[in-house]
Amino acid sequence: MPDTIETTARAALAEVLPQSLPPEAIDPDVELDHLGLTSLNKVLFLTSVCDRTQVGLHHFTEHDLAAMRTLGQVVEALSRHAEVR
Amino acid sequence: MSVINRVVSGPPRPGNRLSVARLGAAESWDLTEVWELSGRVAGHLLGLGVRPGDRIGILAANSLEWVLLDLAALRIKAVTAGFDPGKFDATGAELVARYGLAVLFTDQDETADRVRPIAAVRELPPSDAVLPHVVWEPGETPALKFTSGSSGPAKSLLASAGSIDSSLAAVQEMFAHGPGDDIFVFLPLSLLQQRYWVYSALVFGHDVTISTYEAAFATLRTARPTVVMGVPGFYETTGAHLQARAARTGASPAEVAIEVFGDRIRYLWTGSAPANPATLRYFTDAGLPIFEGYGLNETCIVAKNHPGAHRPGSVGRVLPGKEVLIDADGVINVRGERPVATRYEHAEPGESEAMFRPGGIVRTGDLGHLDEDGYLFVRGRADDVIVLENGKKIIVRPIEERLKACTAIEDCVVTNPSQRQLVAIVSPAVNPVDTELIAAALRQANAALDHDEQVAKVVLADRFTVDNGLLSSQFKPRRKQIEARYRRLVIDPEEGIRA
Repeated sequence: MPDTIETTARAALAEVLPQSLPPEAIDPDVELDHLGLTSLNKVLFLTSVCDRTQVGLHHFTEHDLAAMRTLGQVVEALSRHAEVR
Repeated sequence: MSVINRVVSGPPRPGNRLSVARLGAAESWDLTEVWELSGRVAGHLLGLGVRPGDRIGILAANSLEWVLLDLAALRIKAVTAGFDPGKFDATGAELVARYGLAVLFTDQDETADRVRPIAAVRELPPSDAVLPHVVWEPGETPALKFTSGSSGPAKSLLASAGSIDSSLAAVQEMFAHGPGDDIFVFLPLSLLQQRYWVYSALVFGHDVTISTYEAAFATLRTARPTVVMGVPGFYETTGAHLQARAARTGASPAEVAIEVFGDRIRYLWTGSAPANPATLRYFTDAGLPIFEGYGLNETCIVAKNHPGAHRPGSVGRVLPGKEVLIDADGVINVRGERPVATRYEHAEPGESEAMFRPGGIVRTGDLGHLDEDGYLFVRGRADDVIVLENGKKIIVRPIEERLKACTAIEDCVVTNPSQRQLVAIVSPAVNPVDTELIAAALRQANAALDHDEQVAKVVLADRFTVDNGLLSSQFKPRRKQIEARYRRLVIDPEEGIRA
């Protein structure tokens, strides 16, 4: 499968989750909190996925980060900036 | 001249910078500009009727404006009361009333009597006000600070200028911050100690970068600081991330450490809670020396490891101006030449007397000992001592540390439901839980412990988090809540993993 923002985000998220979950099994609509992600791990995840997709974290504010509560919302937010890159 | 009085005595030397690195924006000013802007703010505060001894509230995330207001308050002898928006769910108006604030500045989009938007602070024009010549006496109090205790409402105390001075002077003696250094601060400026590094930059001539929790990882490597001020929870999470990254990419620990922290780190600072020895070793081995210290809000910094005197496992030697007295129960008492405070401003009845003793002594409630070379070792909380029915006193923290060395165990609390045997309530590190590994860790721990210290069984809990109420905001396990939630499993003989 070619690397897309979604597959990259899934892989990055799976690395920081407390439970062993295959990247493709993560429900994109489940709140990250409910997956057991701590606030610091959420920051690490977002920083990591921005790195790997080359979408600058500078596109977002602290408020934007707080609003990204699910994997789906993260993918959507990054995709918006990837398109205009 | 004391450090704090050097801060307020005049502009700093040019050539060092304050940077604010938030997500989406990074800005930087020479410290002389910061000084000039803080003068405008000081004039503005005088125009609002703020007078010496009045309290200025700041309810906002880290920003230039935060720094300006704090420096302005110092320059007119007002008292800064910092509130972390993540920890105080009261409105600005409620904080004004509760803490007797003359005015409160906030980024929380609230307008009320004596509540003002912090954003306006940056745009103030030069002021015509003549600022007073200010001298802070050691017993005067520039800051109202709040404890982030593991339970109950926050307590507050007024911190003395003398305690700030003695701490800053001692830190400077140990770490010699100066030209070429850039101290990275991402913990809230509402914590007085995080503001120390701004004062240090102004007086000792180095750079300081202010960031936010959310932006820390993204800005560290571009800011390229020489020093990072963190807490154990931050380093434990980051250490796990670095190890995962090294495993994924094949890079060495030192290489991934540079990728995340930048290439100029001189040392990492940690304190405020016990650090995991394995985490400290990991960073040191990766080329980032990390120095643990010890102190409470009520004592400021008591002891600190540093490049010139470092003993792993200890929290360092006791600072000049501080004296550690171990009482008959093994509890650490701290006497300061310049005490932080002698009572709480806001606390439940009896709490001041329990903490602050006559003669400037603070009873910390922590158990510890000094070795023959003066290094302080902290073994746990006095409240965490279990007395068995045979009278044997068991300090649980070393037992918990042994179990936490297991990679399947993220955290644990040892309790004793019957006064006869110990039970460990474990927060698993991975899901599904590796019960075999936990059983092996239990066997290994028990083999190294005295008979009375051995743990009969392990009970599996949910992962301890701040959100589920099982960790404090400083990532410390909330023992009473954990014991209450898992009491049924602890006492049920059919439950649990046995060695």
